[in-house]
Amino acid sequence: MKEYVLDKPLTEDFLKFLEHFGTVRFLDQLKKPYFSYEKEHFISIKGFVGDSNVEVRYKKEFHDLVGDYFHLLLYYYDQGEHGISALKGQEESIRKKMKIRLDPPQENGT
Amino acid sequence: MRDRAMGPALQSDQPNLIYLNNAATSWPKPPAVLEEVANCLRQPLHEPGRTTGNGSMDYPSAARESLAAFFHADPAEHYIFTQNATDALNLLIHGLVKKGGVPFHAITTELDHNSVLRPLTTLVHEGAISLSVAPFTDNTISLTAIKKAICPETSLVVMTHGSNVLGSVQDIKPIAEYLNANDIFFIADGAQTAGHIPVDLSDIPVGAFVFTGHKALFGIPGIGGFFISEPDAIAITRQGGTGTDSRILTHPSDMPMRFESGTPNYPGIASLYAGIRFISSTGLEIIGKKTRDLTRLFIRELKNRPGITLYNDAPDLPVVSFNIKGIDNHEAGYILARAYNVITRTGLHCAPLVHERIDGGKGCIRASFSWFTTRNEVTTAAAAIREVAESADTQVRSI
Repeated sequence: MKEYVLDKPLTEDFLKFLEHFGTVRFLDQLKKPYFSYEKEHFISIKGFVGDSNVEVRYKKEFHDLVGDYFHLLLYYYDQGEHGISALKGQEESIRKKMKIRLDPPQENGT
Repeated sequence: MRDRAMGPALQSDQPNLIYLNNAATSWPKPPAVLEEVANCLRQPLHEPGRTTGNGSMDYPSAARESLAAFFHADPAEHYIFTQNATDALNLLIHGLVKKGGVPFHAITTELDHNSVLRPLTTLVHEGAISLSVAPFTDNTISLTAIKKAICPETSLVVMTHGSNVLGSVQDIKPIAEYLNANDIFFIADGAQTAGHIPVDLSDIPVGAFVFTGHKALFGIPGIGGFFISEPDAIAITRQGGTGTDSRILTHPSDMPMRFESGTPNYPGIASLYAGIRFISSTGLEIIGKKTRDLTRLFIRELKNRPGITLYNDAPDLPVVSFNIKGIDNHEAGYILARAYNVITRTGLHCAPLVHERIDGGKGCIRASFSWFTTRNEVTTAAAAIREVAESADTQVRSI
């Protein structure tokens, strides 16, 4: 688990961006609007809209593959529509490596 | 957006912190405790046999005398200091096994903490004991349940005096009397009860009673201990310097050195001494009444509210465990801490077996109060919990 401090407070627009990649839960009736984001095997993020702190958790077994994923989200968020397709492309490449780890090929090639 | 690569804000920097995690460790401590710790460290320590100096005060002796008066059982030398209750339980359990020398049967309960369950489970795996786990009914362990578990090979019962999840105090006196009459060693874990309710060890024939310093006794973390009625029942498992008879290479068997070696945690002992003095001067009954009132108030604020499940709505201790429908307990705890400055504890609370019974093993949120908790904090925290519960069933956006 890591806690990051961003250079700008989180916005609902960032949550709309996250929705392209995983499941966003948004509790907007609280004292501070809370969100959690989950992307299986990749990352879970939680924090509050309007805050600069976020808590990020990675799956230990895939940390070497997804350890930079949060920074990728931040980077591609700034790229707009191009960022969405670019990140999806990167995800696909990571998923292929995960698949090999989850279901390694047999020695006889099957 | 970028990550500024800085650490999170310290919780102690947050204004209006509402600390409801006193069952884990009490906070704040009485100023007199902090002052005593500082006093202890301001001068060279009083260490008979380890220094030629006089030191400030013989804290270990003073603390033992305080404990003997507090728990109404002598002699003072039978109060042993350890790092914490877990350390005390390990010393007792493993010492009993070593003393016995042959495998035996032990009993614990579904309410017990991992400080009991893990040493016992380890000994089962090593073939040193067999183990039965007595179930609870209506949040308590009855003598009937213990009797049902006893067999001819039973030599040990270890059980909690007060549940850290359900807040229920167990009636250990009839259990202690029965086990004593049947020559079964009884260890009572008073980590959650010492400092909350009167414990009269002259009236409860325990083999050993374990306490910790940093919860309701208001000491600092790193100090705990136990009272033992018959020290010879437990083998010596630690040996070292005692400041006496250094020429003799076998560890002394007289008390308290039998179970204590090396330099003690003097600041911790000083804090325990001061904590007991604080409780005695304030009044244990007065403290108990206040924390019970706070607990009842908290429960009144949450009971029968939609989406909130209370796991014991009449606890004996100031411990209230609950869940919020539609939101994981860890997530709820995070929200309460970060959005409302309400500090609780979440998860299994090191007591996995009780959670299997009450919440399917998922864990829950626990709020626990102390003398220093205020009514305003309790009502503010309850309002925050209700707000989270009302919001929890909100839309989930997904691709």
